[in-house]
Amino acid sequence: MPPVEKDAGKNELKSRIQQLIDANQVVVFSKSYCPFCLKVKDLFKELNVDCNVVELDLRDDGSNYQEMLLEMTGQKTVPNVFVNKTHVGGCDKTMQAHKDGSLQQLLNGEAEAYDYDLIVIGGGSGGLACSKEAAALGKKVMVLDYVVPTPKGTTWGLGGTCVNVGCIPKKLMHQTAMLSTAMQDARKFGWEFDETVKHNWETMKTAVNNYIGSLNWGYRVALRDKKVEYVNAYAEFIEPHKIKAINKRGKETFYTAARFVLATGERPRYLGIPGDKEFCITSDDLFSLPYCPGRTLVIGASYVALECGGFLAGLGLDVTVMVRSILLRGFDQEMANRAGEYMEGHGVKFIRKFVPVKIEELEAGSPGRLKVTAKSTETNDLIEEEYNTVLIAVGRDACTDKIGLGKVGVKVNPKTGKIPVNDEEQTNVPHIYAIGDILEGKWELTPVAIQAGKLLARRLYGGSTLKCDYINVPTTVFTPLEYGSCGLSEERAIELYGEENLELYHSLFWPLEFTVPNRDNNKCYAKIICNKLDNERVIGFHYLGPNAGEVTQGFGAAMKCGATKEQLDGTIGIHPTCAEVFTTLDVTKRSGGDISKAGC
Amino acid sequence: MKQVKMAHRLLLRTVRSLSVKETRCLPTCTRITSHSAYSTSLRSAAHRVSFLSSSRSLTRSSQRKVSFNVQDQEDFTERVVNSELPVLVDFHAQWCGPCKILGPRLEKAVAKQKGRVAMAKVDIDDHTDLAIEYGVSAVPTVIAMRGGDIVDRFVGIKDDDQLDSFVSKVIGQ
Repeated sequence: MPPVEKDAGKNELKSRIQQLIDANQVVVFSKSYCPFCLKVKDLFKELNVDCNVVELDLRDDGSNYQEMLLEMTGQKTVPNVFVNKTHVGGCDKTMQAHKDGSLQQLLNGEAEAYDYDLIVIGGGSGGLACSKEAAALGKKVMVLDYVVPTPKGTTWGLGGTCVNVGCIPKKLMHQTAMLSTAMQDARKFGWEFDETVKHNWETMKTAVNNYIGSLNWGYRVALRDKKVEYVNAYAEFIEPHKIKAINKRGKETFYTAARFVLATGERPRYLGIPGDKEFCITSDDLFSLPYCPGRTLVIGASYVALECGGFLAGLGLDVTVMVRSILLRGFDQEMANRAGEYMEGHGVKFIRKFVPVKIEELEAGSPGRLKVTAKSTETNDLIEEEYNTVLIAVGRDACTDKIGLGKVGVKVNPKTGKIPVNDEEQTNVPHIYAIGDILEGKWELTPVAIQAGKLLARRLYGGSTLKCDYINVPTTVFTPLEYGSCGLSEERAIELYGEENLELYHSLFWPLEFTVPNRDNNKCYAKIICNKLDNERVIGFHYLGPNAGEVTQGFGAAMKCGATKEQLDGTIGIHPTCAEVFTTLDVTKRSGGDISKAGC
Repeated sequence: MKQVKMAHRLLLRTVRSLSVKETRCLPTCTRITSHSAYSTSLRSAAHRVSFLSSSRSLTRSSQRKVSFNVQDQEDFTERVVNSELPVLVDFHAQWCGPCKILGPRLEKAVAKQKGRVAMAKVDIDDHTDLAIEYGVSAVPTVIAMRGGDIVDRFVGIKDDDQLDSFVSKVIGQ
């Protein structure tokens, strides 16, 4: 057959191909020797689906077919698969479609039946990032977000925990507390001002919440601009591809989608003791509390507990932290204890090895007076104490129990409520994915959720294969003395590599800014953990000192690049800074050498 | 009714292409800083304006306070979209500092016109759908409406003279 030269011939070929596509449930344009084509043909055989195979290498006009397919589908390679008149793509795409269930839908002729390509449940950092990315890739996307009020009635706007009741207000209030330290230092530097310095809780609260208001609005606008449909309603699965959305007036609406992303996040856990929900607050309430909390008991030693206790003490309040066992579970314990010691040295009281058993209200008010009864975890001792506010920060529970996951068969860890996913954030139900704080064994950090959400959308709709890397994630706890870390804790490193295969370098340091006020000498601390079996590669980075987030971020990048001790030593420090300590670490922990520092 | 709606849409399209200018102005649209986390997009092409009702209430008195707070979508339709007078709509938020400066200035400029122009205030958190529908990205955003159509708009702060000339232009149109 002569090559197709004229438009007439071309059109004729095009309609011939189109007829093939229209007339058959499955058409595979293939080459008989191609292993990928074989894989696809085998898949359909396995699925017991008749497929019409066109072996292009066995036809004289095969290359014309291939040219025309390129024109029609943008794909030149084989196999080129069509199911129920829909172009699926090549081998990878077909296998992916098989894995996530969309191939089965296509085979069943359900392709166009859904309202949306993607419905994201939860408008927090992860959900918003994922939905916007999917919409930018041309998909029809809906996000549902609904904040169930706290027992105290606190509620907030779009954007999830980080923006409304997490990172953002937390760091602004931490900054408020740091300013108090700065003011004390200021006198030593020659600033003279009146003795009476007061803090106004309401002013801070209003300013912080005004900023949050602007962020809420910004998120709403971004969804409009990216053409993501937003619904302020509580979503619950009722069928594998169908959810029920209930808005605040109780109106029910139903939506269907080909795929779902669960991004519902977590909420603070209560204690389950008398008086906890009635009289206590959590971090969900604290940041918009209309009155200064006064004498406060913080229950728990999570990072939320230490951060909140830390800034409340920094505002000048009488703060006690009640700890059941250890500080900052999961973090490097040496660092956690040093951060705790610093707090203790700066006015925060710790009650260790006690758990509350009962909270009673002595007097209502703003704040009122509460009586807390606690018992020892070791003896039968009971203690009673009075506080104005009791803040519970003993952990957070994934919001996975009331969204109908049982109905659609999504596996949830019954103990933790967390959702196990594969390395592509896919649950055991192929068309349902999950990201963010609800994932089992993953980081509960906003930037991780954002990264995972974005990359998931790109894999689903942008042909990307890049997966979210959960290794060497830098993070910072904003305790009064901040703690930044990246990679493994000392405990975890020993567990994984064995103590003999590790070299730990560490040092105390005294920030220049602390010298003139003459405070906190030998409180700041730096430690790296290196793998001796791998060229002393840095596998753990720990920093306790000012601006920990700013310091840790860059070293996080270095660790992503596989930085070794030698490379840190070869790095020129910036003088005078805190971060430069990492370029001159020369005392190993094993040596027991002196690590205290004085002067340049 | 439907035809009236259509007519309005067509009219709007014409008016928009002829007379809506993007009044780019000082970048003072957010409470905290001009570079706050929400980027200020001033594109006016994205506006979607719908008209829920186009019946005009011819009996409405022209004696009003300088400005009124929009209560809901219906109220907006009645008192802004269907207004005989041109209306300046001040989209504002509680958390927005510049809004608190612009609001009183705008009221002053409107008062000078002695009833020839009305002023509506829309809290974007209370009436998010309205603000989203009218393409508000940053606050304060002021939209000038006449016969249900957007004839002009600006975002951010303006001084008294600029406001006077903005208002007179709206009336003069």
